[in-house]
This record gives sequence, C-alpha cells and structure tokens, in this order.
Amino acid sequence: MYWKKEDINKYVQAKEYIDTIIIPLIPFQLSQDNDLEKNAFQSEVLTVFSGEIERELTGRVMLIPTYTYLKSADKESEAARLNGWVEDAEKQPFNHTFFVTFDSSWKKHEQALNGTLLWLPGLQTGDLHSKEMHAIIRDQVEQISELVRSYWH
Amino acid sequence: MSEKKQQVSRRQFLNYTLTGVGGFMAAGLLVSPLRMAIDPVLKESSAGDLANVSLAVEDITTEPTRVDWKIDQIDGWYESQVNKSAWVFKDENDEIQAFSPVCKHLGCVVSWEGSEDYPNEFYCPCHDGRYYKDGTNVPGTPPLAPLDVFEKEVRDGMLFLGEAKPKGEA
Repeated sequence: MYWKKEDINKYVQAKEYIDTIIIPLIPFQLSQDNDLEKNAFQSEVLTVFSGEIERELTGRVMLIPTYTYLKSADKESEAARLNGWVEDAEKQPFNHTFFVTFDSSWKKHEQALNGTLLWLPGLQTGDLHSKEMHAIIRDQVEQISELVRSYWH
Repeated sequence: MSEKKQQVSRRQFLNYTLTGVGGFMAAGLLVSPLRMAIDPVLKESSAGDLANVSLAVEDITTEPTRVDWKIDQIDGWYESQVNKSAWVFKDENDEIQAFSPVCKHLGCVVSWEGSEDYPNEFYCPCHDGRYYKDGTNVPGTPPLAPLDVFEKEVRDGMLFLGEAKPKGEA
C-alpha cells in the first residue's frame, strides 16, 4: 500500500491485515560536488527498490513516504524525529517497522531506531534502466521480502 | 475511316457532368455507412497490445516458472515503464497457462510452492492465501477468487502476454 488515496481506502477496510510499515531513508545534499551523482543515483535506486518491495508484499505492507534528511545531519536527532513517525503509525495496529537505506551511517545508530534497519550495501553508479540493474534489484527485492516475511512468523 | 469529328453535344456534356457529380455525392454518402459496416474488420485487435515476454514456447514446462517483462504505460500524469510478471506453465492438456501473480486477497505476489507446507500450490506469503495449480483459490484461505489469467498468444514460437483478466473472462 502506498500513501495514496486509493490505497488508503483499501487500507481502512483491511486494517487488520496490514501490520508492517516500511520507511525509505534517503539522504540529500547539494554541497559536496563529488558525491552528488552517487547520492542522486542511490536516491533513485532506493525509490525503485522500495516500490518493488511494496509490490511484492502489497497486502501486508504500508510504504511510508520517503524520509529525506540532510546528509550531514546529526543522526541522533534524525532518529528521534523518525521515532515520532513510528509512534504515530503505531496508533494503528502496525507491529513491524522496517527502515531501508543505502546510507551506512545509520548502522551505528541502529539502536536508537524504533524498528528494524535494513542497510543495503549501496549501488554506487550504473544505469537504472539496464537489464543487469533490473536483475540485481529483482534479486535483492526477493531476499529482502524473504527477510521481512521471516519477521511475520 | 470517318472524317467526322466526334462532337459532344450540349446534352451529352451535361449528362456526363451530372452523372459525375452525382456519382461523387452518392459515393460521399455511401462511404460512412460502409466504413461503419466493415468497422469490426478494421478494428485493431487487442492482440496488438500483447508483449513479447522473451520466453520460447518449447521452454515452457509443466513446472510453473516466473516470467518478468516491462511495458510502457501512460496513466494519467505518468508515463512509465511498468514491470509485469506471470506464472507460466503447461497444464496436463499441454495447454499454456499464464497466471497473474497478484493475490486476489490484498494484492501481494504469490509464488509457486512458496511454502514448504503446501506443495503443488501457489502460496501468498502475506496472509497464507493458497491456490491450486489451476489457479483456483483454496477454500478457507483469505482469497475469495481464482488468480487472474493473462491474455496470451503464440507468435513464431514465442509467448506473448497481454492483460490479466479474471478467470473465465480471458
């Protein structure tokens, strides 16, 4: 389910079935020229990626709008804000929270997050629309959804 | 040899002209009903929308295999590439079956033998929905309808798939 009118209407009618939220974490910055391309690319990939996970697990997962933050921001305070999102979502029967990101700096602050962090070793560059990339993403999505499913049992 | 020039009389000339113009008018009137009458023939068959899923027919076995392909889709504001998938196999009558992997319960992706507990069935990991090999939902599990079936066609030994339709309509 997406944060979209159509999906939310479905959600409201089937609340008891949808117990998992996924929040993509995407850093943003325009100051470091060297990283611009990489950051933009990873943002694109993660968007596709989380969309694919959603597609695989639509009926039980709510994909939260991407959490965007400044790359250099202090992770502690970002984690506090994120937990605010999670707390709010948990007013509904959501029992599982997953954060997906390519940003490894979250790994150190995993404990502060109220949920499961899925850090994916990033794809640095490439052609998002190529066949190879498609296959890589497919593969990873399959593994991630398997992981998510293992939390359900 | 007649030296006499073939003269067109005024009457003849008028006759010719009138016939000509009248003919044009009649043709003009006839064209639209004609077009309508043969319209079903000219209509582009929906088969034109089928996409090659890069799977040769001889490679299809009785074991359901997942195929993925992309189509271009214009949907309101967005023009996008959409990923499609299907479970394809040959049934006991050697006929090709292509099922949509989208669970009829809440839309998760089902997989063939996705659970070790339920061999020979399609399984939805989200809420344990199950379907028999022919796509029929297993009674007592969350889905209330059989898996959708893709429109399909074989051209030059390759499999082409179109829209997924509820079973019985495709």
